[in-house]
Amino acid sequence: MEQKIAVKVDDLTVAYNYKPVLWDIDLEIPEGVLMAIVGPNGAGKSTLIKSILGILKPIAGSVSIYDKPYDKQRSLVAYVPQKGSVDWDFPTTALDVVMMGTYGSLGWIKRPGQKEKKAALEALEKVGMLPFKNRQISQLSGGQQQRIFLARALVQNASIYFMDEPFQGVDATTEIAIINILKELRKAGKTVIVVHHDLQTVPEYFDWVTFLNVKKIATGPVKDIFNDDNLTKTYGINYKVSIQE
Amino acid sequence: MSNAQLEIQVIASLVAIACAIPGTFLVLRKMAMISDAISHSILPGIVIGFFITQDLNSPLLILLAAITGIITVVLVEYIQKTGLVKEDTAIGLVFPVLFSIGVIMIAKNANDVHLDVDAVLLGELAFTPFDRLIISGADVGPKSMWIIGSILIITIGLLIAFFKELKVSTFDAGLSASLGFSPAVIHYGLMTVSSVTTVGAFDAVGAILVVALIIAPAATAYLLTNNLKRMLLYAICFGVFSAISGYWLAHVLDASISGSITTMLGLLFFMVYLFAPNKGVIAVMYREKQQRTEVSLLTFLLHLKNHTEESERHVNHLNEHINWQKVRSKTVLDLALKNNMIQFDKNIVSLTEKGDEFTSKAIDYIITNKDAQIEHMKDDFFLFRG
Ligand SMILES: Nc1ncnc2c1ncn2[C@@H]1O[C@H](COP(=O)(O)OP(=O)(O)O)[C@@H](O)[C@H]1O
Ligand SMILES: [Mg+2]
Repeated sequence: MEQKIAVKVDDLTVAYNYKPVLWDIDLEIPEGVLMAIVGPNGAGKSTLIKSILGILKPIAGSVSIYDKPYDKQRSLVAYVPQKGSVDWDFPTTALDVVMMGTYGSLGWIKRPGQKEKKAALEALEKVGMLPFKNRQISQLSGGQQQRIFLARALVQNASIYFMDEPFQGVDATTEIAIINILKELRKAGKTVIVVHHDLQTVPEYFDWVTFLNVKKIATGPVKDIFNDDNLTKTYGINYKVSIQE
Repeated sequence: MSNAQLEIQVIASLVAIACAIPGTFLVLRKMAMISDAISHSILPGIVIGFFITQDLNSPLLILLAAITGIITVVLVEYIQKTGLVKEDTAIGLVFPVLFSIGVIMIAKNANDVHLDVDAVLLGELAFTPFDRLIISGADVGPKSMWIIGSILIITIGLLIAFFKELKVSTFDAGLSASLGFSPAVIHYGLMTVSSVTTVGAFDAVGAILVVALIIAPAATAYLLTNNLKRMLLYAICFGVFSAISGYWLAHVLDASISGSITTMLGLLFFMVYLFAPNKGVIAVMYREKQQRTEVSLLTFLLHLKNHTEESERHVNHLNEHINWQKVRSKTVLDLALKNNMIQFDKNIVSLTEKGDEFTSKAIDYIITNKDAQIEHMKDDFFLFRG
């Protein structure tokens, strides 16, 4: 069986102020995987996602989503940025943030209506945040803020989900709740790409992994390539993971 | 109240509304300083426009000056992008240069230009009713009123049309870009509106008041609400209130109108800064005091829970053991008693059932930081909020 490629990255090089932070990345992400992107701080994980989503302009290379450029495939993609990238003191409520996920399908000028509100409420329900829908976002805990971001991505009803450190600053209960939703998405045939920090949980949570540190070190099924060799190449130090059997 | 007085207040209020709208987004984007840069660096644009049109109110002049405003923004961003200096430094580098070019141009042509630097910085609201717009012989009102009125209508139209885009790109530029709402387009749109508003308003109220009207009402509104639409509304109200009350203050004191309006803006901000219900200085101080007391309470309850021996729980020993001053101890004891968390038995303090349960829950919460179960506790105690 030939598996479809959801995301394809070719010879991608990205720089800030002419200093490359991603060098010549080639990457193929098959449809329907739950993939972790791992690498040390400053490895360029966030940069990679932003370049795939057209938020940053690469200095070389190209990206395609199901064989077409990102511009043409926006509606297929949902994005959860790193939590720290927004101002949580912004004057708005949880429900309103989730509604933002519907803006893409509305396009310019058109306003969200009842249909969008209903979708947003359903997404809030799914992440267990319905009771907090009218709460100002700065009054939410770190875990609750992550759930709101997840709900916002769910409301986009996409085929491919990009999530930048969705487990950052969340408690154990929230982490389990989030990973269960991600696994559900995969079961529904979606492709989920997650920047992840906790190496211990990679084999338990994910079936696909990409090692990144400025260059791509390796990419493939967790069971084949998640080993000390690749970890050492990525993190520089001699790495030993004790994977519980 | 004379007709001229009324017209001045209408013009000042229109300027206030036109400034509050872009101001709200500039404040939320933490870009308030850019309005300062724009308001000064448009001077050369105004001077060149004036040479060409000989009319301070000509649309061409407004356009030229607004372009200078955009050039300022582009220059600031370009310098910032080199990574050599921070944004505020870049702003500080750009606008004095452009402003002085304007000043030199005025000085060199002082004879044929009736335009002076003071007028640009401070404006002269009192004179605005004298420059009338005459359409086929009929007097339809002061020119400035029409100019700022038109700018305001366009601004409101853009706000209504692009409210959702402004909101998402201000809150989360990354998401906005991924959804196809280019943050750069929205950014330059906002900058264009800010520039045009500044230019349209400077003749009437001067550059300094424009900056004050852009920043102060929005900053004041930010302290009072957690809702973007309400923040816009409050900012507009504060702007208009300051404009009108400032006008009458100037009337009473026989002082500059712009100066008085700016003073009112400052006063209003200061009052709200002190007394705002949640974000005000006094509210924050009160909350911190509450939190300190509650931490003390918890420490105290925990001490009782951990020590079964009576000597540790004797009233006389508690002061020494927990090492608080008398006042603190009394507040804490009162609070615990009021909530039925402790009981006395011949000067020996012990936890009630309720107190015991509360202590276990609170400790559990602090250790695990689980948020779901603890919601009802948050309502009782400040400690668990935020
Ligand atoms: N806006 C920016 N301007 C300049 N350098 C940046 C910017 N964002 C990130 N970088 C740099 O790019 C590198 C990769 O960053 P990032 O993609 O955020 O890494 P990661 O997400 O893997 O921690 C880092 O060295 C970082 O300092
Ligand atoms: Mg990152």
